[in-house]
Parts: sequence; structure tokens; C-alpha cells
Amino acid sequence: MLLPEKMSRILIVGSKDKLKDTTEVLYNLALVHPIDFSEEEGLALGSPFPEASDSSQKLLKLRALEKDLEIEEPPFGAKLVPVTEVESNLTSTIDDLNAEVTGVVETKNQTQQRLAALEADKRLLMPLTSIPLDLELYSGYDNITVFTGSVRSDPEPALTSAVKHFELFKSKNADFVAVFVAKGEAAEAQRALVQNGYSEVAIPSRKGTPELLVKNIEIEEAEVKQALSDAEQKISKLRTDNRAMILASEEHLSIEVEKAEFPLRIATTKNAFAIDGFVPTKQVEKVQKGLDAKLGQSYYFEILEVKSRKEEEQKGPEVGHEPDVGLETPVKMGEKKPISLFNGFTELISTPKYNEIDPTNVIAITFPLFFGLMVGDVGYGTIFIALGYLGLKKCTTDDWRTISTMLLFGGIWATFFGLIFFGEAFGMPFAPHGDEITWSSLLGVELPSSIDLGGINTPFGIYNKLEDVNQLLYLAAWIGIFHLFLGFFLGMYNIAMRHGLKHAIMEKFGWILVLLGMAILLPVIVANLSNIMGLDFGSMAVIIPVVLIIIGMVISILGEGMLSILELPGLLSNILSYTRLAAIGVSKAGLALAFNMIALEMLAPMGGVGVVFGIVIFIVGQLTVLMLAIISAGIHGIRLHYVELFQKFYTGGGTKYSPLRVVRKYTSER
Amino acid sequence: MVDIGSGMVAIGAGIAIGLSGLAAGWAEKDIGTAAVGAIAENPKNFGRSLVMTVIPETIVIFGLVIAFLLMGKI
Repeated sequence: MLLPEKMSRILIVGSKDKLKDTTEVLYNLALVHPIDFSEEEGLALGSPFPEASDSSQKLLKLRALEKDLEIEEPPFGAKLVPVTEVESNLTSTIDDLNAEVTGVVETKNQTQQRLAALEADKRLLMPLTSIPLDLELYSGYDNITVFTGSVRSDPEPALTSAVKHFELFKSKNADFVAVFVAKGEAAEAQRALVQNGYSEVAIPSRKGTPELLVKNIEIEEAEVKQALSDAEQKISKLRTDNRAMILASEEHLSIEVEKAEFPLRIATTKNAFAIDGFVPTKQVEKVQKGLDAKLGQSYYFEILEVKSRKEEEQKGPEVGHEPDVGLETPVKMGEKKPISLFNGFTELISTPKYNEIDPTNVIAITFPLFFGLMVGDVGYGTIFIALGYLGLKKCTTDDWRTISTMLLFGGIWATFFGLIFFGEAFGMPFAPHGDEITWSSLLGVELPSSIDLGGINTPFGIYNKLEDVNQLLYLAAWIGIFHLFLGFFLGMYNIAMRHGLKHAIMEKFGWILVLLGMAILLPVIVANLSNIMGLDFGSMAVIIPVVLIIIGMVISILGEGMLSILELPGLLSNILSYTRLAAIGVSKAGLALAFNMIALEMLAPMGGVGVVFGIVIFIVGQLTVLMLAIISAGIHGIRLHYVELFQKFYTGGGTKYSPLRVVRKYTSER
Repeated sequence: MVDIGSGMVAIGAGIAIGLSGLAAGWAEKDIGTAAVGAIAENPKNFGRSLVMTVIPETIVIFGLVIAFLLMGKI
């Protein structure tokens, strides 16, 4: 269970006329992970089944339809379309719809273009409306030059001084002018205009009053807009009416094409095919039975090997030729709930190798524990449980499901630690505690600090987050040491499995001894923290761990070389890194306390508006702490696994097991 | 009234956490920039990028531990 499922490599050989049936069986079984064939002598890649090209063409048309209709994901909980219905309607869906949609989309595009043209025309004519001249009057003179354009300042004074004969028309706010000048004076006029920031605007070659033209354009614009919205409405209706069918058809065709193109992934000769692939060892029989039922005796089946997890040592010049067992063999991630819910966290780094322990098992246990310890509050814990439960019920995407998993299981531990360990909810302790605001003082009832449960004295709060910081840091360091021990032992197991026990001892056991030495030294150092120089270096409590560390280092240096000395401070910093388990809890408690003090001790007793503000501050503050709890506890919790723990045993980079199978989202087989 | 010694210790604790926080942030800045780039190129890099980005955070944890130890002396 800790390791990925055992895999067998199988070979299926048959004559080409059976390939279609074989493909069908393999897709229905959904167990065979094929190895993509790369061409070798005497064998060639297969060619797709004949129906592939027809299906591909249809698929192309459908996707074009989807794009035209702007079809996206259907609303949540849409009904599935049965495959038989898809099949019988496929041709009509595509052809009829295509004709209809093409027409509507064309109309839409045309109206859009017309609208754009009209708007451009209008923009051109607008400035001319304030000048009382018809358009044809702007051109067609033999001896007069006409300047039309926008100006930055009134050009009249400049023109008067530069030109003798001219006529000037200005728009109301004098930013657009039309100047009529005798040809002989055109150059002077232009200079005068340019001085005033003139930039030419071409006059449209039309006839009539600009005002009238603009009015006509506006009338047409309204008509075109109406036509556009009609077309859009039609498209939207087509979209809602056909969305389910189009998505279903596309899915159906994609599956058809994938199946029809399967021969491209395997080896064939003129008359035969060979499928090379991996099957979980437990399921080999099922595959064989499935094939037998359909093909009888007319095929050949062989189990090439049951993949061992040991890595062969390469000798001689062939080094590196044989592919890595761990990377090549597909890895089937566990499917047992609740551990499988945490698969997302492992996948975030990479798929495990075939010959190593699936770290999901560790994450599933210690990650919620760390999360809970960092949050450690009944109030937030309960909210997390509710959110996580809802998320797992409602969310369909993997990312949100992973986050929901963290909230649900982390929330359970947070509630537990909040109740027993810290005895607090929403940052306030239950039992009376000095001058601090507590649930006891808030409710006016004295809540007990412990309760007798069936003869066992169950405490409500052993530690106070803000006062017992040193104890919490100490505890966190111990959690770190145990977590790292776990990592080293898992690493030893992995290496023993791949290369044998000798390698495992040389590579990891030294580090286990070093860590053991550090673990023994930790209480000694903590006890003498105030006077570290006065430590008795001759006492057994110091000599034993130092000797352990030295022996451990010697083994590591022999196993991994001199560079492993550099990793010694790294291990120390790994342990210290776990103190964040306490630090984050403390910082959040401080934040919550501050908000609670402002809301309940300073604002609420003022009465009236103070109470309202107090409630607002309380809610906003608690929401802030809640969000920070998710972000910081989540990230730091998972980081302790990714950085500190995984370094000790996890390699990753495996191939994910993806058997031939049909995944249906919009269609149903029955 | 707090005596000068305790005040000095408190300032020391503040410096420990403040400077180590700055250092961690400084170190994380470049890694974070590169990480965002890597994620933009391929979202699958998210996990690895996250791991790389948070490595310098340990520095500030050291500062925090020292700060707590110093505060214990007041």
C-alpha cells in the first residue's frame, strides 16, 4: 500500500483484422497503459483506421461551430446525452446547424462591419455639422483653395494679417475651420493656419448638408444595431438549444478519433500488430479474460516480466543504455480514500517513481496534523471542517478538491488541538486567564479548565499560545526531529529496495545517527540555554551525542564523499525550521488577540455606535485571521513536507499510469 | 518601569527578527521573480517553484527563535 502498485509488462500480438476488436476491448477494460512504439527494423507504426479521417473532418466542423457559437462549459449539473442519441443525430446536428449558424454568423459579421463603417462616416462628418455649408461647396473651384481641418487656436488674426482675400468659417468652439483663399495666397494662408496648430481633415466626397447626412446615418445606425442584436439573440438561442448536443457530439467524436488513431502508437508489420504495455499485476488475468471473451484463440498474449523495483547496476560500456526502472514503469497513484484525496499534494511536486514509497501516505497523516497544530483553535477549526466538507461535496476541479481536503482534515486536527491543547476559540481562551478577555469573562460563566471524561482528566488548554512560547518551540523542534527520522527511514527503505541494504546504510544510516545525536543533545542545550558556556563538556550527556554525530558523519563521508559535511548545518536548520509550527500559531494568536481587544474591550463597552463598530471590527478581524490561517498554515505545513521531509527520501519524476480508456463528461453510454 | 538592560534585550530581539526578515525577503525576491516566470511558462512548475521560493524563509525562523530566546531573558 505504501508503494505504488506492482506492474507487469505485457505483449499482445494478433493479426491486423483483429486490431479493431482488440482496441475496443482494451478501451473498455481501461487497464492497459501502452508504451508508445518508436520505429525499429522490420516493424512500422500502424496507420489509423479508415473512419479516422471522416470523424476528424466532422470534429473540425464541430469545433468551428463551437467557436462561432462561443460555447463554453455547460452550467453545473447539465444532463448527459446518451451515446445512441448522439450517434443517430450526428450528421443532422453538424450539417443542419452548420448551415444555420453560418448564415447567422455571417449576418452578424456583416452588420458589425456596416456599423463600424457608419461610425467612421459619422466621426468624419460631425465637425462639419457646425459649419452651414453643403458638402459639394467644399470642392470644384478653379481659383480658390479650400483648407478644412482642426486648429488649436483661432487662426483669424493670423490670417487677416497674412492674406488679403479669404473667407473663414468656424465651428462653434472654434476648433474646426474651413478657409477659402485665392489660389495665389494659398501658401501664406497655410502658413498662418499651421501656426495655429492646423491639421487637415479630408472632406468626404458626398453631397448634401452634413447635418442631414448625420441624421440619415443615425437612422441607419439604429437599424443596423437592431439587426445586430437580432443576430446575437439568434446565436444565443442556438447556443442554449444546441450546447448539450454539440458538446456531447464533440466528446463522442474525440473518443472515436482517439480510438481510430490508436494504431499510430503501436508496432505493426504488413499483416500483424503488437501492443506493448503495462498492466497492474493483479489485473493481468482480467485483461487476458477480456481479450479471450472477444477474440477467442486468435491472438497471442505474453507477460514479459513482472517489473522488479530493483535497479540493475550497469557495468561496462553499456552504462545508461537501459532505461531507469523507476522512471519508465508507470505509477498508479493510490485510490483508497481518504489518503487518495491528498494525491494532489504529491502531484504538485511530481509523480512518484515506481520504486519508491508514495509520499502521499506521509502527507495524508502529518500535513493535517501540522495544519491543525498551527491553527489550534476550536472556532477556526469548526469553520474549516464545514468549508472543507462543502468543498469536497460541491467542487469538481482537482485544485479545489485538494484545498478542501486540507481544510477538512486540517480543521479536524485544529479543533482537536484547539480544544485539548490550547483551550481556545476565535483567539480567546475558555477558562479565566488573568486580565485577558476570555469566553468565561465574555459569557459571565466560569468555564472549567479541565473536565472529567470517564475517569480521565481531560484538560481544556494545556498551553497558552502567547505565554508558553518557549515550551511550544521546544515541542515543535521535537516534532521536527521525529518527522526527519521518518524521512530518513523512508529514504533508507527506498534505497534498500533499489540497490540493497548496504547502499541504504552507507547513504542514510549515517544521517540517522547524526540526527539521533542532535536529538540527545537538544534537551541538554535547552536546559543550559541561559548559560551555554557553562555546559559540562565532560559529561556523558554531551559525549554520547557528539560521538554519535562523529560516527554518523564518518559513515556519510564514506558513503557520499566529503561534500556531505556541508549538509550537517543543513540538518540543523531543518530541525529549527520546524519551530515555525509554534511560531505561526503564536503570531496568529497575537493577531486575533489584538482584534478581540479592540472590538470587545475598547469599543463594545462604549455602548451605542461603539457596539456596532465593535461587531464590525470583530467580524473583519476574525475573517482576516481566518484567511491568514488558511494561507500561512497551509503553505508552511506543506512546505515542511516538500522541503524538509522530501529531501530525505523522495525523488519523483515517475510516469503517471494512464491506461487506454474513455472519459465521458457530457455523454453517457446508456 | 523597565530597566535599561531589559530594554536593550528587547531591542536586540527586535533587531534579530527585523534584520532576518529583511534578509529572507531579499533572498526570496529573486527566487520569487524567477518562479513566477517559470509558472507562467508552464503551470506544472508550481510545486517546484513554491519549494524553491520558500527556502530562504528558514532565515527568518532563525531570527524568530533567537528573538524568543532573548525575550525569555527579560
